[in-house]
Amino acid sequence: MSSTTADCGCPPAAPVETYTAKDFRSTLKPIWCPGCGDYGVVTGLYRALASIGRPPHEIAFVSGIGCSSRIPGYTTAYGFNTVHGRALPIAQGIKMANPDLLVLVAGGDGDGFSIGGGHVPHAIRRNLDLTYIVMDNHIYGLTKGQLSPTTPRGAKTSTSSYGSIEEPVNPLLYVLAYGCGFVAQAIPSDMDGMTKVIEEAIRYPGFSFVNIQSPCVTFGDPEDQAKVQKAKMKKLSDLGHDPANRLRAMELAQTYGTDLYTGVFYRNPNPPQTYDHYIRERQEALRPKQAAA
Amino acid sequence: MSHPTNVRPRPFLEPAYCKGCLRCVEACPKHCITPGSTLNPATGYTPVELHLDHCNGCALCVQACPEPFGLRLDEGISHLEGEFRLEDPTKLFGKKCVHITEAPIEPDAEFPLPACEPLVLKGAYASAIGALFAGCRHVFGYPITPSTEGAELMAKMLPKLGGSFVQAVSEVAAVNMMYGAGGAGVPAMTFTSSPGFSLMLEGVSYMIGAEVPGVFVNIMRGGPGLGNIAPEQADIKLACRGLGHGNTHAPVLAPSTPQEMLDLTMRAFELAFRYRTPVVVLGDGYLGQMTGAVKLPPAARRMARPDWAVWGDRPHRHNLISSIHLSEPDLEAHNEHLGRKYAAITKREQRADLYRCDDAEVLLVACNTPARMAKGAVEQARARGIKAGLFRPITLWPFPIDALAPLLTRAGQIIVVEASAGQLEDELRLALSHAGRVPPPIAHVRRQGGVLPQQSEILAKIEETQEAFA
Repeated sequence: MSSTTADCGCPPAAPVETYTAKDFRSTLKPIWCPGCGDYGVVTGLYRALASIGRPPHEIAFVSGIGCSSRIPGYTTAYGFNTVHGRALPIAQGIKMANPDLLVLVAGGDGDGFSIGGGHVPHAIRRNLDLTYIVMDNHIYGLTKGQLSPTTPRGAKTSTSSYGSIEEPVNPLLYVLAYGCGFVAQAIPSDMDGMTKVIEEAIRYPGFSFVNIQSPCVTFGDPEDQAKVQKAKMKKLSDLGHDPANRLRAMELAQTYGTDLYTGVFYRNPNPPQTYDHYIRERQEALRPKQAAA
Repeated sequence: MSHPTNVRPRPFLEPAYCKGCLRCVEACPKHCITPGSTLNPATGYTPVELHLDHCNGCALCVQACPEPFGLRLDEGISHLEGEFRLEDPTKLFGKKCVHITEAPIEPDAEFPLPACEPLVLKGAYASAIGALFAGCRHVFGYPITPSTEGAELMAKMLPKLGGSFVQAVSEVAAVNMMYGAGGAGVPAMTFTSSPGFSLMLEGVSYMIGAEVPGVFVNIMRGGPGLGNIAPEQADIKLACRGLGHGNTHAPVLAPSTPQEMLDLTMRAFELAFRYRTPVVVLGDGYLGQMTGAVKLPPAARRMARPDWAVWGDRPHRHNLISSIHLSEPDLEAHNEHLGRKYAAITKREQRADLYRCDDAEVLLVACNTPARMAKGAVEQARARGIKAGLFRPITLWPFPIDALAPLLTRAGQIIVVEASAGQLEDELRLALSHAGRVPPPIAHVRRQGGVLPQQSEILAKIEETQEAFA
């Protein structure tokens, strides 16, 4: 995916260009609140895309609705700010129509695990080569501070005035349980770690998931902000976690909400074929054989 | 149910588990079991009948029965030593299944409210307060600008009033929670805005089919698609003509002030229960957000739980909430029944507000916030000697054609003022056509995308049409 040179017998491609983070920054100025974690995420994404080296016009960036879903507009990729909760199905449509595109999907925790929660398992098991980045801030920011599926139990929000009485979703365990081949977590205040994780996720050949705990400065818990996160963060690589160990990854993912592990939880050491591959294979197999001349 | 030890246990049958396969009939050497004659409505099968006068407790029938919980021996004394012992399912979960308490019957009641000064309230809050006074204690919603405030107030108030607010995972979940609560006979509602309302329509169609009440406050915003969060009136077609699949209609109320947001929400609950139907309160983005003086009603209400509802007790066990009618004639009859209901609503529930219409030669037709601009334009036009009037439909479906028709003898011009691409005008023209009326020329002032018609442009349009006549 990272190579644009032709080693497959295709006609020679244009000479490989190198890109810098700037090439992926659009002229739109983000309108997130000052201090929002999403500024960090978009910066990390510019850097990751620069090191991937695909030109902006070969990238489709799909998002749902929410503060974080504004992110495609701030990149020079083909952006698609879609329907609330439906970014993944739309991204799948894009990928099937144009399998050579690098398709990124982004959204918030509400978009991905509340209204869009039903699409996540099926995107995972279908295993198209997509990268799904969730900016998880534990709140609905765009509609001004309502309960989200990852809001911790007991948290007071504008629709849980007396404290939430719902158990939050665990996004990491959710995707691990459905068999996602690449699962990682990052925080924007650890820029290098986050950039690396995003890059790895994009390079993973199959559906990959990155949960970025991106704090909401306006409606979020004051105890859940950048500084606190940075102090709380524990790098999985420092713990000596083996990303090939799915069961251990699930064990670590259990601590979502209390511990803040960053890095790659799980990377399938033998990535299975992707859906796009099977489509091509089937098309090939079913194509009418040309009669010998 | 204990037996003397010298008597072998007799078989007994759970009719709900019997599929009438008749294996036991063949197995019984004493001919104690006969094919049944009564259909079990719960299963659609005809269970066998036991006549145990000659039974010797041989249990061959129990062995023959393929259902684990079908024919069993009384009191669990098993002849089949060493084999799997079947548990009576009613014993597994204690007494819950058999002793259902009867819900207390609380009749309709009105509770007078102390007189107080008008409050200054946001439209969405006014609507929420109206719902509380109408007895609504079950609210389901999903955040969407510009209607979230209603849900937020409910989240704050309901736990104190013995009710519950649930923030659903999506509008799809919210509408189906309303389906469930409405089926139980309690007043339930939601606050939403255009994209969310689109998402709810499948559930609305089911609710209409199953005749389940519920109130949908839809604060319309700009569309199509994501559009924006500014006011538009572009859901009129959806609410009046497109409530999901099937032959669906439901009353659509169009408030134009915060006061009406309260009054019409209360009225919506009345209609919902009177006709067993969802009701849509169609506001626009400004109405949700606008503050205004709101007088509280003289009394709060409590809605009795209706007889048709699924109460979850024994006397109402036979009640059924369903929108499925697999036999074609049944479904046709059900549609005809719904059609009669729509006709009754159309006949009785038309409401309109007539402002200076008595001698009006130019008739403005507008609802929601644009009606306020139209009212201003009427005043200005009158000051300039033009006999203008405002016809403001309060029910968009049914369209208040009965109130409009008499005005048409005098009015030589209709001007439809709306924040959509002619959706209100379509309702007007359709109502006129059904009533067999040939309308005077119809002009329009339309704005879209969150821009509302301005008083000045309405006035300009009035003058333009008058000049054309002169």
